[in-house]
Amino acid sequence: MFGRIKGSGYLIILPALAGLVLMVLYPFAYDIFISFTNMSVFHFRNPTWVGLSNYVFVLTTPDFLTVLRNSVVWTVANVVPTVLIGLVLAFVLNTKVRGKTIYRLFMIVPWAMPSFITLLIWQSMYSYPFGVINTLIGQVGIAPINWLNDCNWAFVGIVIANIWLGYPFMMIIFSGALQSIPSELYEAASIDGAVGFQQMRYMSIPLIRPTILIAVLLGSIWTFNNFNAAYLITQGGPGICTTILITQAYKLAFGGTLAFAQAATYAFIAFIILFVPGILWNRYTGLTRRVS
Amino acid sequence: MSGSRTMKSVTKVAGTFLKHAFLIIMSIISIYPVLWVITLALSPGESLVAPHLILGFIPVPAAPTLEHFEAIPQLHLLAGATFPVWARNSIIITTSSVLLSVAFTLPAGYAFSRRRFRGQQVSMFSFLLPSMFPGVITIIPQFLLFSNLGLVNTYLGCIIPYSVGSLSLSVFIMKGAFDSIPRDLDEAASIDGAGEMRTFYRILLPLTLPSIATVALWAFMGSWLDWALANVMLKDNTLWTLPLALYDFIQPNYTYYGSFAALSIIMSIPVFIVFMIFQRYLVTGLTAGSVKG
Repeated sequence: MFGRIKGSGYLIILPALAGLVLMVLYPFAYDIFISFTNMSVFHFRNPTWVGLSNYVFVLTTPDFLTVLRNSVVWTVANVVPTVLIGLVLAFVLNTKVRGKTIYRLFMIVPWAMPSFITLLIWQSMYSYPFGVINTLIGQVGIAPINWLNDCNWAFVGIVIANIWLGYPFMMIIFSGALQSIPSELYEAASIDGAVGFQQMRYMSIPLIRPTILIAVLLGSIWTFNNFNAAYLITQGGPGICTTILITQAYKLAFGGTLAFAQAATYAFIAFIILFVPGILWNRYTGLTRRVS
Repeated sequence: MSGSRTMKSVTKVAGTFLKHAFLIIMSIISIYPVLWVITLALSPGESLVAPHLILGFIPVPAAPTLEHFEAIPQLHLLAGATFPVWARNSIIITTSSVLLSVAFTLPAGYAFSRRRFRGQQVSMFSFLLPSMFPGVITIIPQFLLFSNLGLVNTYLGCIIPYSVGSLSLSVFIMKGAFDSIPRDLDEAASIDGAGEMRTFYRILLPLTLPSIATVALWAFMGSWLDWALANVMLKDNTLWTLPLALYDFIQPNYTYYGSFAALSIIMSIPVFIVFMIFQRYLVTGLTAGSVKG
């Protein structure tokens, strides 16, 4: 009880490190290993080494290009609007406006509701022909759309649902950054004659640029990896219209075909693509930096 | 006359009006799915009929009823377990995962903050690494591993992965929390004769309570609401957690929208309340570097 806890720092982090190694790092290495074998339902206990043939196979199937393009479009189509809406909301709520607290409370709802559940709610909203979205567009005379069975509409549908999920988080991050700007700076800017948009353009935006950068990186990583939004509403369908790299990996492994090797290949490719933004996020936030 | 001043006040009024219009529209969009799910939950029957709309856009049940909420205790799918079984599974798995997760995180965050040891940077980086993984990347090998160990179709098959699932975020939240407590406090305690353990329990833990709660909350949400891993690990209907059951109520071939909606609301309420209380702590850690400037 008294004196220093025996053992080095390593001993203290041992439980966490063991959990991390056994449940995350080892599976990760195992995933890479599987991607070089022929593991499938036919070779479940006796996989053999097949070199790069999974990669060759995956990269040369036409599905791969579609899925890769979907992943990129999915990420950009989500991150850009969520960051923009989040920024605008943060700016508006940072000005003098009545009822700020109530607006904020409403705006946080998409974030506070469990996304697993709200995504399923969105699925029911898109249902054809009686879902509420079809009822709404019917009010302005548009014929009901079979959202989740049409290639393009399904993609638009999951993007809309995911943007809805994403902007409150961005708004909160940007609000925090805006509030950390000292009020003297605003006063100084007003004295210099900068008003409204000028203050925003020449002072606030440059000051919160590091936060915007982090939000974009984090948003990209999360969106690229977002299994729930891209799978729960459409299961990647119709066909592979809404399939992104990680849902393709899941579908190949557990969607009935048990093609573990190909699934692992897809998962590892997704990781390689994410590695660079991941490293950048680590550098910009300085999470692993020591406090001196 | 004061033409320019009138102009100015006109633009000001227009600006205020636009601001409110924008905020009101965004507020409605933000709560719209909630209005919809409440309408579904209070409408009789399991099938979807076009909702009644107030003002042309606010959905309300045509003939409100509480039948779906009253039926929840007996809720079941075609054959198999009922709601109390799923709820019990969810509670056992979530409680175990949260406790284990906190037990893993506290010492690690402490060591990263207060100790200096060789390879510290490397091990910190290895904790950060999983945040760059697609979650699915670990589900595939975990499933293969657990099926060899006989852990598929057991609570442990979910508890073990869940308890380390939020580790990479949590460890840094705790490191940040301990970093923010001046070392002078530790030293003062040690001068007063308190050992390291005692200092940890009596001084550091009480001061970092909000962060510990945040860590617990992340672990809670990771397991209470997970579908992807549970779907792979828990095959038996009697072992299912609530998300698996909820998902099955709206499968394309047999949809039970009323039950789905009522169950959604019951499952969301605890999360919503806890979330609203802790939301300001939830972003700490994610943007740590940028706020310090």
